[in-house]
This record gives sequence, structure tokens and C-alpha cells, in this order.
Amino acid sequence: MDKPKRLYETTFIVNASLDDTQIDGVVTRVQDFITRNGGTVTAVNKWGRKRLAYSINKKTNGFYVNLEMEAPGTLLAALDRAYQLDEMILRYLTIILDRKAIASRKATAEAAAAAAAAQALVAEPAPVQAREPEPAPSEAKKA
Amino acid sequence: MFTPRRTRRDKDQTPRKKRTCRFCDSKDIYIDYKDEKRLQRFVTEQGKIIPKRITGTCAKHQRQLVKAIKRARHLALLPFVSDTVR
Repeated sequence: MDKPKRLYETTFIVNASLDDTQIDGVVTRVQDFITRNGGTVTAVNKWGRKRLAYSINKKTNGFYVNLEMEAPGTLLAALDRAYQLDEMILRYLTIILDRKAIASRKATAEAAAAAAAAQALVAEPAPVQAREPEPAPSEAKKA
Repeated sequence: MFTPRRTRRDKDQTPRKKRTCRFCDSKDIYIDYKDEKRLQRFVTEQGKIIPKRITGTCAKHQRQLVKAIKRARHLALLPFVSDTVR
């Protein structure tokens, strides 16, 4: 039976004293766990090593990883358990993405895409403008 | 009946500038726990959440803000108590 899936976001802090390969190992382990339990990871953002605002388990630095996933609700309890059993993970937070969060995410993605497109536009017509100086200002206004 | 408390401001007759909610002003800001720079502005040096009567944030956005700050604290993005106080 197909269970209904929802969008979640989970962030966790990995012990920063590990090697990069070991950290990658932890991240893939979590991703595998999610996919094995009926979820799909839609985005992986590694924020990298950051100073913690307060020490956790006597550690002052942590490697932050942020995952977005589509998952059935049953996955969350299992994921919590997995996080707790993993000694390399100092802290974790899993939240459901509400409508506003999804909307803002879409807006920022669109803005980024638009900015990239605009940049491409600016980069391309430069030689054209040199040849025909007249239509350039109207184009600039539209953009 | 409710009678407003007399404050020094009443005597001075200096009208207080009306503060508006920043999140209402610029609409589609989503208050995100990952955005620690923005959240920092709503936290004192000690790490306490600043009340909405000081910042002028509306009730709706203050609730969202508080949630975001608490999430950020859990992930050690913001301090519960600042180092200087400890």
C-alpha cells in the first residue's frame, strides 16, 4: 500500500573532528536510511563546519547537514531512533515544511533562476548593443 | 472600566513613533530558523528573545519568530545564554 508522503526537512550536526570522508559516510548512511524506509531525498545541503553557539558533548564545532525529503509519517520515528543511535551525530532537528515554507522556497528558487537568466541576457547582447545603440535603452527598461 | 496608566510619556506629550512589523512591511519573508543573521536581531546580547512591544513585531509574526529562534537554539545556531553572561 502506498502511504501518503509529505515534505520534511531535517538538519543534523555531525562531529566535526572526523575526516571529510567519514562525514560523507555519515551523510550517505542517513540518506540510505531514508530511502530504505520509503522516503526520497530531494535536496542535500552541506553547510560545512561551523562554530556551535554553545558546546554539545564538549565539542565547540560541528558539521551541519540539511536534507529535504519526501517521506511517509512512519519514517520519522525510525529516523529519530537512527539519529540517536548514531554517535557521530551531535544534534538533529526534523520539521515538516508547511505551505508558507514551500512557497518561499519556490519564490527564492525562481528569483535565483530569474537572476541567472538576466545575467545570461546581459552577457549575451553586449556586442549587439555596440552595433545598434538605439534599441538598447528600451531593452534595458524591459529587463 | 479600563483607565490607561499614566506614564511619564503622557506628561511629556511627545508622541512615540509608531513601529511597524518588519515582516508585515516586506511581505513574503518566511521566518526561517536557518537564517541566524535575521534572528539575531530579535535576540538580546544575552540571548533572550526581545518582546514584541520593543521590536514592534505583530503577534502573528512574533509567534513565528519565537518558533524559529527556539529551533535555531536547538541546533546551536543561536545561544540559549550568551558566553559573556556565563
